[in-house]
Parts: sequence; C-alpha cells; structure tokens
Amino acid sequence: MTAKWIYVLEELGQEHLELVGKKCANLGEMTKLGMRVPPGFAISVAAFEEYMRATGLGAGIAACFAGRGDELRKGVQAQMDASAVVKQMMADTPLPPALAGEIRRNYEALCARFGTSDVPVAVRSSGAVSMPGQMETYLYVRGVDEVVSRVREVWQSTFNTRAIAFRLEKGMPVDTAPIGVAVIRMVNAKSAGVILTVVPTTGDLDHAVIEGNWGLGESVVSGEITPDNFIVNKATMAIDRKISRKTRWVVSTGRGTSMADVPADMQDRPCLDDKEIQEIIRTALDVERYFGAPQDMEWVIDHDLPFPENVIWVQARGAKYATPRKEADADYIVDQMARLFRT
Amino acid sequence: MTISNGHDVGGLSAVVPGFEFDEKTDLAQSPAWFLDGTHSVPPWTPLFGWFWINFCRHGMQYGAEKLSLPTVKGWDWRFKNGGGYLTLLLVKTEAEQKAREQRFREAIRPFVENYDTLWQSQLDEILARYEELKELDLDKASNIELLDNFEQTINVCRRMWEIHMYMMYGTFTAYILFENMCRNLLQIDDTHPLFHKLITGFDNKVLQVDKRIWEFSKQAEKLGLSEIVLKSEPKDIVRNIEKAPGGRDFMQGFRKFLNEDGWRMQRMSEMNMPTWIEDPTPPLTNMKQFIVKGGGFNLEEERAKLGREREEAEKEVLAKIAPEQKGWFTTLLRLAQKSGVFSEEHDHYLDLYMHALMRRSAVGIAKRLAAASTIASADDIFFIVPEEIRRVALAPEQFDLKPVAAARRAAWNEWCKTPNPPVILADGFDMNQAMAVLVKSNDPIALKVVVGSMPVVRPELKADLHGTCGSPGVAEGRARVIMSEDELAQVQPGEILVAATTSPSWTPVFSFIKGVVVDRGASLSHAAIVGREYGIPVLMNVFAGTQQIKTGQRIRIDANMGALFILDK
Repeated sequence: MTAKWIYVLEELGQEHLELVGKKCANLGEMTKLGMRVPPGFAISVAAFEEYMRATGLGAGIAACFAGRGDELRKGVQAQMDASAVVKQMMADTPLPPALAGEIRRNYEALCARFGTSDVPVAVRSSGAVSMPGQMETYLYVRGVDEVVSRVREVWQSTFNTRAIAFRLEKGMPVDTAPIGVAVIRMVNAKSAGVILTVVPTTGDLDHAVIEGNWGLGESVVSGEITPDNFIVNKATMAIDRKISRKTRWVVSTGRGTSMADVPADMQDRPCLDDKEIQEIIRTALDVERYFGAPQDMEWVIDHDLPFPENVIWVQARGAKYATPRKEADADYIVDQMARLFRT
Repeated sequence: MTISNGHDVGGLSAVVPGFEFDEKTDLAQSPAWFLDGTHSVPPWTPLFGWFWINFCRHGMQYGAEKLSLPTVKGWDWRFKNGGGYLTLLLVKTEAEQKAREQRFREAIRPFVENYDTLWQSQLDEILARYEELKELDLDKASNIELLDNFEQTINVCRRMWEIHMYMMYGTFTAYILFENMCRNLLQIDDTHPLFHKLITGFDNKVLQVDKRIWEFSKQAEKLGLSEIVLKSEPKDIVRNIEKAPGGRDFMQGFRKFLNEDGWRMQRMSEMNMPTWIEDPTPPLTNMKQFIVKGGGFNLEEERAKLGREREEAEKEVLAKIAPEQKGWFTTLLRLAQKSGVFSEEHDHYLDLYMHALMRRSAVGIAKRLAAASTIASADDIFFIVPEEIRRVALAPEQFDLKPVAAARRAAWNEWCKTPNPPVILADGFDMNQAMAVLVKSNDPIALKVVVGSMPVVRPELKADLHGTCGSPGVAEGRARVIMSEDELAQVQPGEILVAATTSPSWTPVFSFIKGVVVDRGASLSHAAIVGREYGIPVLMNVFAGTQQIKTGQRIRIDANMGALFILDK
C-alpha cells in the first residue's frame, strides 16, 4: 500500500511514527485512547517527498549540497549560506497543484465541521526523530492559502542552519530530512499548561505536577513567567497549590499570537478550578497506566465548551525526570534490605 | 474425646482437613511449633479456625514468595484444639538464598519507590471485592445464590490474606531496616522514646473510627442524652436512647456510621459474636466511656500535639545525619512511618472487615439450615466447616448436622477450659533452640510481632517486673487485669490495663486509660502502636504481668526505664 499524503488524526497511531512524525502519531494515539484532542489532519512524509520529487527541488537541493562538498563541514558561514540558498529555492517553488488541492480539501472539511470558512489552526512540525531547534510552530493560521504557505515554511525549517549542522554532526544525509506536519484546530484557550505524572526534579512517582497560566500554553513551556503550580498526591488526590501572580500571557491576535498583560483581576486567581484539576489528573493517570510510564502532557481549557468537554489535550509523551539521586537512594535501601536477610 | 488429629473421631471429620496437628509427622517436619497466642487464645470456633489456618497460612507463603524473601518461605500452620500452631519454613541451602536475594531486590523495590500507590491499589482491589459480596440480599437470595456468596467469600478471604501478608512482609522489612539504621547512626533502638516520637502522630483509619465515636459522644451531650447513656446497662443502652427525645435520630446517624465502619466484631480473630452493625452495644459502650472521661478531653488536640512532637523529633534526628546520608535516611524514615500506619489500619480494612463479611455470609446460610432443622440453631454454623456446608447448602432438609455440631460444640467447650500449650517441642529440643530458629529465619513478622527484644534487668531500680518500652512515659494507677475481650467493659478511666496481648478492637479503651502492660509484644504489636498514638506509656514483654499483678493493686510503670513497681503488695 502506498502511503497517503494526508491522514486525519483518527486514522493514526504509534505505529505511524515514520510516516507522519512523532507529534502526529502521538495525536492519533491519543485520539484512539479516547482523549479529547482537537480535530485536524497530518501531512505525511510522503507529501514532503512528493513536493521534492514532482517539482524537481529534491535534485536541485542535492546538487547544491554536493557542489559545496567538504566546505560545509568547515564553518558555520558555509552552512548559513547553504541554508539561505536552499530556503530561497523552496520559497520560489509552489506546491504541486495535486498536493495543494489535497491540503485544501482537508482544511475545508475541517472548516465545514465548525460551520466557518476560515477555522483557525495550528501548523506544527512533526519530525520522526527529535531534532532540537527544528520545531517550527505557527498558531492561529486562517484560510487555505495561509495554511499551504505555512506548511511549506515548516518544510523549509528542515534546512535551518541549526538543522543542517545537527545532521552533519550526527553523520545523517544533509540534503534531505523529510518531516510530517500537523494541522489542528486552535483551541480558544482560557488557560493552558502541562502535567507531569512524576515530580521531574526528584523522580517522586507518588505525586504529579500541574503547571498552568491563563491563555495559550506557549507562555508556560517558554519558561518566561512563573505559572500556577499544583502538586497532586496520586493516591489520595490531595492537592497542594502554589498560586503565582501571573502578569503576562499569550493571546490570539486574530492571525498569530502575541504576549500581553493579564487583566489585573485575573492575575492572582488560580488558572484551574478543582474539578478541572481532577479531570486533568484523572486522564493523565489513565494515560500513564496505559503506557506504563510517567507522562509529560499538555492540556488546554477551552473557553467556550462546558465541563468536562472543555479539558482538551494537545500532547502526551514519556516524561523525562531526574532519577540519579532518588535511584541511588533506592538502590542503597534495597541493598541494605537484602543484607538484613544474610545470616 | 478430643477432635484434634487428622483422623475422623467419633464419626466426625477433621476441622481443617490436611492441617490438623499430628504429633508424629509434624514434629518430624519441624521440632518447634508455637501457639499463636495473639489470635487463637481463647480457642477458635471450628469454622473460624478453618478460615484462618487455610488462608493466613496461604497468605504468608504467598507474601514470602512474591517478595522472594531470601531466608524464609513463610509459615506453616496447624490446627489443634482451637489453637493455631505455627512454624517457619526456612530456605534450606545457601545457593537458594542467593538466588532468592536477587529476585528480592526487584520485588521489594515498589515499597521503597512507590509505597502510597502500591497500598492504595491493593486497598482499592479488596474493598471492591467486599462490595461485591455485600450486593446479595441474603434474606431474599436462593440457596444457590447463598452458597455461591459463601464460596466467593472464601475466595475473597484468600485474596485478603495474600494482600495482608505481602504488604506486611514488605513494610516490616522496611521498619526493621530503619530501626537498624537508627541503632547504627543514632544509637537508639525501637524501644527508645525518641524513636517512638519519630513514627507517631499520623492519622489512620482505626483512629478515624475512634474519632467518629468521640464526635458522637459530643453530639449525645449536646442532645442531653448523656445522663441516659451513663445510667444504662449495656443491654438496655440502645432501647433507652431510642426512647429519649431526639434519640431516634441520634441512633439513625449512629447506625449510618456503623453501616460504613461497623464491619467488625469485638474480638478481632473470631466470628461468633455479632458485628457492630448487628449489635451497636460495644461502640455505644465505647462512646459512654468518652462521656465518662468528660468535657475536657479533646481527641483532636491530643493528636495534633503528637504530630508536632514528631516534627520536632524529625528535626532533632535529621540534624545528626550527615548530608550525604539524608536522602536515603529520609526516604527510609517516611517508609518506616508508613509501616506503622499500615500496621495499625490494616486490621480495620483487612482482618476485621473480612471476618465480619465471613460472618455475614455464614449467618445467611445458617438461617436456612436452622429453618430446615439441619442444625439446631443458627449459631451452630460456627461448629460446622465449609466441606459440610457445601454438602447440605442446596437441599438442607435432606441432612442432619445437629449431632456433628453438638459434638464439636462440646469439644470446643472442652478446649476453652484447658489452655493450649504455648509451644510444642520435639524430644530433646528446648525453648532456647526454638527461639534461635525464629531469629535465624530473619522473618520480619516473627521478629517484630512474635519475638520482640528481651527486657534489660536493672537491679538498681528494685523493680518488681522488667519489660521493654513500647511507648514512652511514666504512669501510676489502679491495675486492671483483663484476660479476654469480654472483660473489656470493666475497664475504668484512669486505670492501667494489664493483659497478655491486646487486639485492635480494644482501641477505644486506650483513650481513657493511663498506661498498658502486656506479657508479650514487640514494637509493631498493636498495644505499642496504639499506645504511641494515644500518648500513653506501654510496657511490653514483662512475661508474667497477668500472673503477678492483681486487679485493684496500685502499680507504677516507667516505660522509658522498662520497669514496673507494684506499690501495695
């Protein structure tokens, strides 16, 4: 079976990692688990390859890199030059009509579900391997032309200088790095943030940590503000709250987003109420049980929907957390326990 | 005639088939069998003994195997004249010990890393199973449904003991390690007052139930029911309250509380007495004691004080621990504290609750059997065993178990008159050797509940009896010697309780007595844990307390020094 260019999220799961990239495969898996995920579609690696093949760009880019040879390895300047040239080549090359048409049909289908002609979407890169500095994301993208153009920009980002340097360093082919793209409906975020089902700094598996702020989640993951912090005991569900003064938030500007001041009356109010916290932790623990490992997940509270439909998920992945100290302590205790039985 | 061995006696089959004590074969298997004095004195009824011997035994072997304890495979149990006799199953070769130790390292890890989640999941599982058992309306059920409920009860009992012993072996292992570490790093052991402060002052389910009863005593005072409660004889207390103005509503609230938390009987390890739900007299008597104690007493304040003392003790101790050791020491301290909580509240969730459900299911069948004249009265059920219940449950009118029940009841009455020996030893094997086997097993439960540490005799104190400190403090008062639960209602506020051991169902008296003396016990025995939680001194392992002290004598106990003085000899 040949790979399709576009898949709706419901068609995808973990097994499609190579085909649509990590982010899209995850969103598909989350949908299968019954989590509330914003509707949308994934543009596959096959679509990227079609763009490169049908337009002749692939051969052109390969020739461009081949011509530079070893020079590329010598310095950042050569990599910057190559990046600029290749990205310009892509900027000058529109998508093949058949491919652009596919994206249009899928976007219009999404619009139709919400009874509007320009439903705002997030356009996010979805690489098969994690490549730092390559995660381009465009929020509040509206209208089909804008969507197609942002998709091409995500593809361009695989030729960012940093991405080129990364591939060179890892000995990967430099002239091609197919990635997937996720196009999902924007949630009208009242508040957003993350939950980790482990305390990342200590490796404490008995507690989960929720952090959140008003508005879109970008302000929380960026680390620019001090978010509200909730520590939840996973066994008893007891909540320990640290409510911070939240002065800045990320809001929609209609097309795109910006950082703005939080209205004074909201700054000291918790960005989640207890039942929202309980719903978040309940789902997160279900997912943790399903994967058998601590999770790092991103949630959004929708401004317009009633509880609990307003709790929406945009990311779920295995959590990274500090284990050395805690593990060493546990190792020591286990070792001493074993000694108790030596006669 | 005694019904004691594996053979049929007088036409009666064994009480616990396969597990009747048989001197010849059992002493060949192990030279020392110890009586479980905590649970099987006075002797069990046959039906209860059947459950205990079968499944406590299974649970211990399950727990030891699941954790792959390196030196012990749990305990083996036998039934003899209503007594439970136990011996340890030692791992025989060093090679096997080594192999088991490898697996043990993996198996014990969840206790260290994830204790709360572990215990909660076990608790959720067993409570869900209890709810399933309770779904059946026994009065309306068919005989088929009743027997099925009984079979399910047997299965749930088996599972309860698996969880019980898996958790107990795990938590006690942690507790013993913490105690060893305290000895090495702080030069204190688990009879030291500072040690007790470190593991005291936590809430647990048993204390929550006591608190509810205390709250009811406050409500009774407010409603003007105190006088009625104080004047009533135990047998009239329910009726008198219900006759009083506001009393009916009060009792309704009290019964609602019992429907949740009253799944227990006066004696922990028996099923022949009514549960609190069937007969609220025992908890109402406990409530009466709170009223006797008077208005000044505030259970919540007492508890908060112990919590603060613990925090102080933690600070004091952590200041003495080197920074690079604080990480694991703190983890282990928390785990030891949780072991103490488990040790106390598992009695509520596991033993007491399950035994109440066993009674519920058995009594459901008993009513049918009595109605069909299969047995003479419903309480004959405690003198027949599941093999016989299975035989008759679906067509009870076809069978007559009256002679069997009567013969066993007669035998049981004999058992109650003649105490079982505390230990049965093979020829040429003495008590010291027997204790050495217990110690050699490294069995955490044997060490923390059965053996305990031996008292240090300090001649300069000129004390009458020596013991170990189960809970710190000094107290002076009138002695009250109690040999069984039936005598519990005699205990008066301000007395010092003297007993062989205590059981969790005795908890309420701890709130109004001054101190406790027990013949046997270790730091995780019930008397020690509850004494610490109530902040009263407990002197343990005095061995001859119940023999040498008489009710009414004034005594002084100094648990810190491990000394007991009889003041009016």
